[in-house]
Amino acid sequence: MEKLVVGPGTDPGSEMGPLITREARDRVAGYVQAGADAGCEVVVDGRDQAFDGDGFFLGVTLLDHVTTDMSVYTDEIFGPVLSVVRADSYADGVQMIRDNPFGNGAAIFTRDGGAARQFQRDADAGMVGINVPIPVPVGYHSFGGWNDSAFGDTTMYGPEGLRFYTRPKVLTSRWPDPSTSSVDLGFPRND
Amino acid sequence: MYEIQHLIDGHTVTGSSGDTGPVFDPATGEQTAKVALASAAEVDAAVASAKAAFDEWGGVSLARRTKLLLAFRNLVVDNSDEIAQRLTAEHGKVLDDARGEVARGIENIEFSCGVADALKGTHSEQASSGVDVYTVRQPLGVVAGITPFNFPAMVPMWMFPNAVACGNTFVLKPSERDPSAPMFVAELFQEAGFPPGVLNVVNGDKVAVDRLLEHPDVKALSFVGSTPIAKYVYASATAHGKRAQALGGAKNHMVVLPDADVEMAADAAVSAAYGSAGERCMAISVVVAVGDVGDQLVTPSRSAWRSWSSVRAPTLGPRWGR
Repeated sequence: MEKLVVGPGTDPGSEMGPLITREARDRVAGYVQAGADAGCEVVVDGRDQAFDGDGFFLGVTLLDHVTTDMSVYTDEIFGPVLSVVRADSYADGVQMIRDNPFGNGAAIFTRDGGAARQFQRDADAGMVGINVPIPVPVGYHSFGGWNDSAFGDTTMYGPEGLRFYTRPKVLTSRWPDPSTSSVDLGFPRND
Repeated sequence: MYEIQHLIDGHTVTGSSGDTGPVFDPATGEQTAKVALASAAEVDAAVASAKAAFDEWGGVSLARRTKLLLAFRNLVVDNSDEIAQRLTAEHGKVLDDARGEVARGIENIEFSCGVADALKGTHSEQASSGVDVYTVRQPLGVVAGITPFNFPAMVPMWMFPNAVACGNTFVLKPSERDPSAPMFVAELFQEAGFPPGVLNVVNGDKVAVDRLLEHPDVKALSFVGSTPIAKYVYASATAHGKRAQALGGAKNHMVVLPDADVEMAADAAVSAAYGSAGERCMAISVVVAVGDVGDQLVTPSRSAWRSWSSVRAPTLGPRWGR
């Protein structure tokens, strides 16, 4: 049986490495505790996994029956913690995405093309995946979220990146015969 | 101890601020390097180099720019493994994931190689009698990028290849947590033959960030990081008259409808939630399970969930410790 192996990134057998700092690891572990304290079901607790040495490792955590008032739901955790929120309907799911202040990515998993097409209209996010969980755009499209996930008028890289890194200059040019030159104080009009 | 410096005007420049920050191997918890933290004066030197380089670079032909970008692209391809190793050593993500990051960065260099087509202007002949009107897009000058720890190689490659392809010169301030990979990429950029000063790298912390935000010669600023800092960077950069684009955090939801293939959805959720230890702004952090699909998704008997929930059992523990 395969298992998800947490270990040093240099080990070819590892599937997941450590967190970036000790503080990040401890902060993420704190969120797992906050989720438990708030009453969600801790299906897998990453803190149960012991590691030798002083690396910044934390096992993976799965939380079920998370509700939208819990800090594990409202805050960006930036660690190996996955929350499952139960919803009665598609509309409830879409509303959760709308009510969340972030708007980077969103994904839908379904075999119903009509539902997927509706989701591409409804999803309040800059990048949407249809049966694709991490819809990072290819280099010839552009990357950027909505709402609290991005500030500014352009998204990044691709065509929008080129727009951001250049400014337009409009040139109006004529090469008249000097003998036709005259003074005209009226606003230049086109004819 | 290995010391990571700045790259200014085509040369490695030893930090003179006296401030350094520690760089760790997150897999061992040991400090492996020191990184120089730039003073405002060192940032000024990098901006001055970029400004001086812009005088000539802004007028270099599209043909020449493209050839240099292609040479850079090939060097990054040839050195992908080395970049990935540096990335893993300081970020901690697994090597295969690091190679994927480099590949997505290369995608952006490849796009920038098409700048000649993408930047074509528009032309209205005989807009008025004997008058032609046309629009061209021109570079801004010195532009800056401030990049996050989670994609230390890729996010810089989102920015500077496109910026220099357009004729700008660039000052990069990478994350001080894992600066070796972006420094190496910048060295490859020099090796490709770009003139000194077209790309400068200053390592640093808030001192360097604030100086870039304030510097009158920095015309535009790209940032990727957390939402509070993105808000701060956007407000400060625009208050100082710059163009700014600042990407922040995320809480990416994955809606699973009752008709979904549950195995596939579970595999996707595991991959997207735990890849790179969840330190991705596109990581899935919330699964919205609609109707009764939640019970199917979380039931440990499903193979995908079982595979990783097994880490709870000591006898099936990971290689790294038990």
